[in-house]
Amino acid sequence: MNVSFINVSKSFGPTVVVDDLTLSTEDGEFVVLLGPSGCGKTTTLRMLAGLEEATTGDIMIGPERVNDVPTQRRDVAMVFQSYALYPHMTIAENIAYPLRVRKIERGEIERRVARVAKMLEIDGLLARRPRELSGGERQRVALARAVVRSPRVYLMDEPLSNLDAKLRVQMRGELKRLQHELGTTTVYVTHDQSEAMTLAHRVAVMRAGRLQQFDTPLNIYNRPANRFVAEFVGSPAMNFIEGRRDEGARVFAGGGLSLPLSDSQLDLTDGRERVTLGVRPEHVHVSTSAQDGWTPATVYVTELMGNETFVFLRLPGGEKVIARAPASFRAEQETPAWVRFETERAVFFDADSGERLG
Amino acid sequence: MRGGGRGPGAGGRLMTYALAVFAVVAALLPVYWMLTISLKRQVDQLAVPPKWLIFEPTLAHYADAFLERSFAQYLVTSAIVAVSSTACALVLGTLAAYGLARFRLPRKLNTRVALWILSTRMFPPIVTAVPIFLLMSDLELLDTIASLVIVYTGFNLPFVVWMMRGFFREIPRELEEAARVDGDSRLGALRRVILPLVTPGLAATAVFCLIISWNEFLFALTLTQTDNAMTLPVGISGRVTQYEIEWGVMSAAGVVAMIPILVFALAVQRYLVRGLSLGAVKG
Repeated sequence: MNVSFINVSKSFGPTVVVDDLTLSTEDGEFVVLLGPSGCGKTTTLRMLAGLEEATTGDIMIGPERVNDVPTQRRDVAMVFQSYALYPHMTIAENIAYPLRVRKIERGEIERRVARVAKMLEIDGLLARRPRELSGGERQRVALARAVVRSPRVYLMDEPLSNLDAKLRVQMRGELKRLQHELGTTTVYVTHDQSEAMTLAHRVAVMRAGRLQQFDTPLNIYNRPANRFVAEFVGSPAMNFIEGRRDEGARVFAGGGLSLPLSDSQLDLTDGRERVTLGVRPEHVHVSTSAQDGWTPATVYVTELMGNETFVFLRLPGGEKVIARAPASFRAEQETPAWVRFETERAVFFDADSGERLG
Repeated sequence: MRGGGRGPGAGGRLMTYALAVFAVVAALLPVYWMLTISLKRQVDQLAVPPKWLIFEPTLAHYADAFLERSFAQYLVTSAIVAVSSTACALVLGTLAAYGLARFRLPRKLNTRVALWILSTRMFPPIVTAVPIFLLMSDLELLDTIASLVIVYTGFNLPFVVWMMRGFFREIPRELEEAARVDGDSRLGALRRVILPLVTPGLAATAVFCLIISWNEFLFALTLTQTDNAMTLPVGISGRVTQYEIEWGVMSAAGVVAMIPILVFALAVQRYLVRGLSLGAVKG
C-alpha cells in the first residue's frame, strides 16, 4: 500500500516539528527518513502510526485518509527503537499478541508464530521472556511481532541503533532481504546515512522539520539538493570550497586554487559571482611527489582505515579538504603534498542559500 | 560509619541490635499484652504484679465475643465494607491515575487535578463528619453498610490515584504504543499490557486501602448506630461502658481484628516495600 503525506505539519505548542511535508511512496517501496536528531523524522513516522496527530494536512495510506483513524485500526506494524517487548509475556506470547487481539483462532496463531520464529531464527527462544534475551535477539523478536501479520505498512524507528556495530550490519542485510521477500511498503527512520544508503529504494532527507530531498540513494549522493544533504550523506563528508567564478579565465578560484570549468559548469553557474564548490573525497587525488598541474598543499593528518587512507590536507588558502587515498599512502604531518580535483565530478552550490546549481 | 567505610565494630553492632530489639519489644508489647489478656481469666487480667507468662489460659472471652455477642457480625460487616470500598477505590482510582499519568491535559491540568485530589486528604476527617452525616441522613443511608463503603471509597481514592499514578509513570509509554499499533484498543492495552505490569503496585495499594478501611473508627462511629452496620473497631470500643470495661472480650475481638491485616501484609510484604518507595519517590 502506498503512503502519502500531503502538506502535513505538526506543532507542539509554538514549536513546528514537521513543516509542510509532502511525500508519496510507491507500493512496496522501502523509504528511509534520514536526518539529524530533532529533524522531525520520528514525529513523521509517529503521525503515520497515529501516535501523534498531524496539526494540518492529510496522511493517506492507500486511498484512505487516516488522520482520524485511531492507531489500532490503521493496520500498520511498528518496530520501536527500544523494541517495546511486553516484559511479562513470553517470546511466543509477544509475537502472538497482534494476532490474539484480532481474535484469530488458536491453532492458526501457533502456526504463524512458529513460522516467523523459524524465519527469524528465534524458534529456540519462544518460551523465554524478553529480559533473558540479548539485544540482537530482542531485535528479532520485535521484528517477528511486526511481520507475524501482513499489515499495510511497516514502520521502523531506528530499529538497529541499539545493536553493536557488527550485528547492525548483519541485521541491516537481513532487514533488506526480509522487506524484499515481503514486498510490503516500509517507512524506516534513521540518523545513520549508511543505513539509509544501503536499505532504501528512496531516501527522504529531513532537516529542522523540512524535507530537503526525496530521491534514490545514488541521486542523493551524486546530486544532493543542497549543502546540507551533501554534507549529511557520505562519509567522510563532501569537501566544500568557497570561491568565485571567473568568466574570463573560465576557472573557479577559491581556497588558493584555480580550477578549470567546463562549458556546462560555466552555464549553470552563470550570473553568479560567488559559488561554493563541492567535491567528494574520492574525487580528490593526492600525491607526495610533485605532479604537473596539481595544486601544492600540506598534509594535516592521515587516518589509516585499513583498506584506504583518509588524508586531511590544508590548501594554500588555509581551507581543509579530505581525500581518499589508497591504503598504501604514507605521509608525515606537515609535509608537502600535491592534490588534483576531478572538477568534472564536482557540484556547485549557491554561496548564500546553499542550493545546488543546475 | 566509622573507620573509613569499614563496618561497625563489635560495640557498634551490639548497639544496633540493642536498638532493634528495643524497637521490636516496643512495637510488640501491646500486642502481646492484648493477646494474653484475651486468654486470661478475669481474675488474672488485673493481677498485681502482672502475670506475664504463667496463667491459666481460657478461650471463654472468644466464645463470649463471637458466640454470645455480635462480634461475628461486626467481623462480617468490617470485611464487606473493607473489601467493597477497596475494590471501588481501586477501579475508579486506577483509571483516574492512568488518565493523569498518560494524557497531556492543557493548562497543566494534570498536576492541578492531581493536587486537588490530594488536597481532599489534607484537612482532618472530623471536619467532614457532620456534613457527611447530614448527607447520609438525607439519602437515608444512615446505619447502612453502603454509607461506609461510599465514605471509605472517597477516602481511599486520593491515595489510590497518587500511588497508581507513580506506578503508571514507571511503565514506558512505548509499551502501550506498541500494543495499540499491534491492534489493541487503549483499554485493551491497559488490561493486557499495563495492568499486569503494575500488579505489584496494585497489590500494595490494595493492602493500604484495606488497612485504612478496616481500622477506620471515626466515620464508622458517626454513621452507624446498630448491629446493622457496626464494624469491629466501633463494636470493640462499645465494650467500654458506664459500668464496666470488658477487657477480655475487647482483647479477643482485637486479636481477631488483627489477623486479616497481618495475613495480608505478610502476603504482599515484598510488594509493599517496593510500592511504598516507588509511590513515595516517583508519585
